Amino acid sequence: MPRYAMVIDTRKCTGCQSCTVACRVHNKLPVDMIYNPVTTHGPVGKFPHVRMTHIPSLCMHCDVSPCVDACPTGASQQREDGIVWVEAEKCVGCKACVMACPYGARVSNHEEGTVQKCNFCKDDRVDQGKLPWCVQTCHQKARVFGDIEDENSEVFKLVNGSKNVGRLLEELGTEPFVYYLY
Amino acid sequence: MSAKHETWGWMLAVDFFFAGMGAAMLLFAGIAELFGGSNLSTVGILAGAVFVAIGACLLILELGRPFQALRVFMNPKAILTFGAWNMSFAIVAGLLLGTSYMEIFPWFGIVGLQKVLAVICVICGLVVATYPGVLLGRHKGRPFWTGSGMPVLFLTSSLLTGLAAYIVCGWFTEVAPVVTDLFPYLAAGLCLFQLVIWVSYIWIKSSGGSVHAVEAVRRWTKGNYATGFQAGFMFVGTVVPLILFLIPNATAVGIGGLLAILGGLIMRNLVVYSGQDRTWLPGEKEYRSRLPQGHEAFLQKVWTKQI
Repeated sequence: MPRYAMVIDTRKCTGCQSCTVACRVHNKLPVDMIYNPVTTHGPVGKFPHVRMTHIPSLCMHCDVSPCVDACPTGASQQREDGIVWVEAEKCVGCKACVMACPYGARVSNHEEGTVQKCNFCKDDRVDQGKLPWCVQTCHQKARVFGDIEDENSEVFKLVNGSKNVGRLLEELGTEPFVYYLY
Repeated sequence: MSAKHETWGWMLAVDFFFAGMGAAMLLFAGIAELFGGSNLSTVGILAGAVFVAIGACLLILELGRPFQALRVFMNPKAILTFGAWNMSFAIVAGLLLGTSYMEIFPWFGIVGLQKVLAVICVICGLVVATYPGVLLGRHKGRPFWTGSGMPVLFLTSSLLTGLAAYIVCGWFTEVAPVVTDLFPYLAAGLCLFQLVIWVSYIWIKSSGGSVHAVEAVRRWTKGNYATGFQAGFMFVGTVVPLILFLIPNATAVGIGGLLAILGGLIMRNLVVYSGQDRTWLPGEKEYRSRLPQGHEAFLQKVWTKQI
């Protein structure tokens, strides 16, 4: 069984928001919902040593996922391949998972009355052997997706072959499976 | 589009308030029945069960799909499910215990049944009075909530508002002598304890917590919650009742009870809304501040080419 993960190379990301748009269009999200915002840190420093970093974020598909534990209906689930997803029919929109997620990765769909989130495009992409839309769209190849337990995969090589790799809010102990190169 | 909050809002705060107050009333009723064989106040016990029920109703209204609320009982591992079950048991046990002191009901005066119901009221009352604090304290990504302090703060406030509610009941209905003789002093002690633990909590969060916690606590000391917390909750809702409870006058004690209840309501709202402060990711606050607010209906039309 694979364990899916994503590596985001912040050195390549230009903050164009193409991934955000692709996600919203292909997942047909309402206008007030965003699964994968691209935030900007900086500029910091003084000229000529000025830096600005774009940080694409999304659901971290944590191994210790507080959102799944918090869900009172069992709608929030985690597959064996690590993908965390919401079964819309079971969700009552209590927002327990929204509050439990430290990454702000879950959003309420006010039209449906449910909570939704990134699921790595599991139904129409990953389960069909294709890449998630945000990865497919990134023209800078800043997003890399794959099985982190496969030693031949690019994500395995990137995570294990670089010293400049980290995870967001790692100190919270949620074991996120989105890695950042910096 | 709905104007519901992206995070939990006032309905959950008021749910915590009513459920906590009602649960503490059932807890005291159960203790009085078990250890004294006495009825604190029939009206008070029934009010306790009704308060928990009001809390449950508000919890349902807060849901995105209120008509599917029964699904909340489905995942025994989730603390919300645990709380929902305990609230249900507390409501039923409270109503049965309260009515067991009324002659018109067939189960009037059955001592064995009253003892069993009292045990359920004590257990479920204690759980319902405490679990919101446990629920919030487990949120690692909400710096003001996280940690073991929240359950103590919520239990204290629940016990205080529960005592205060019985004291207020004494104004217009018959209550056991212990309510008028002992409860004001117990409430005064809890006011003092509440004062000390809140000062300690704010102090610890602001000095010994993370950067995010310090930022979140600044709202309470100098930011937009400062007036509500310091003037509303700490002064009007805690210090003034502490003084009034110690004055041997029924009116003063009753007003103290009302103010303590008001303080509990203010505290729940401030605490729940402070959950809006998350451990923000780098640049996230600025990103979210730039998103359109209140223009969703217009954007929806543009998006779907309705104009």
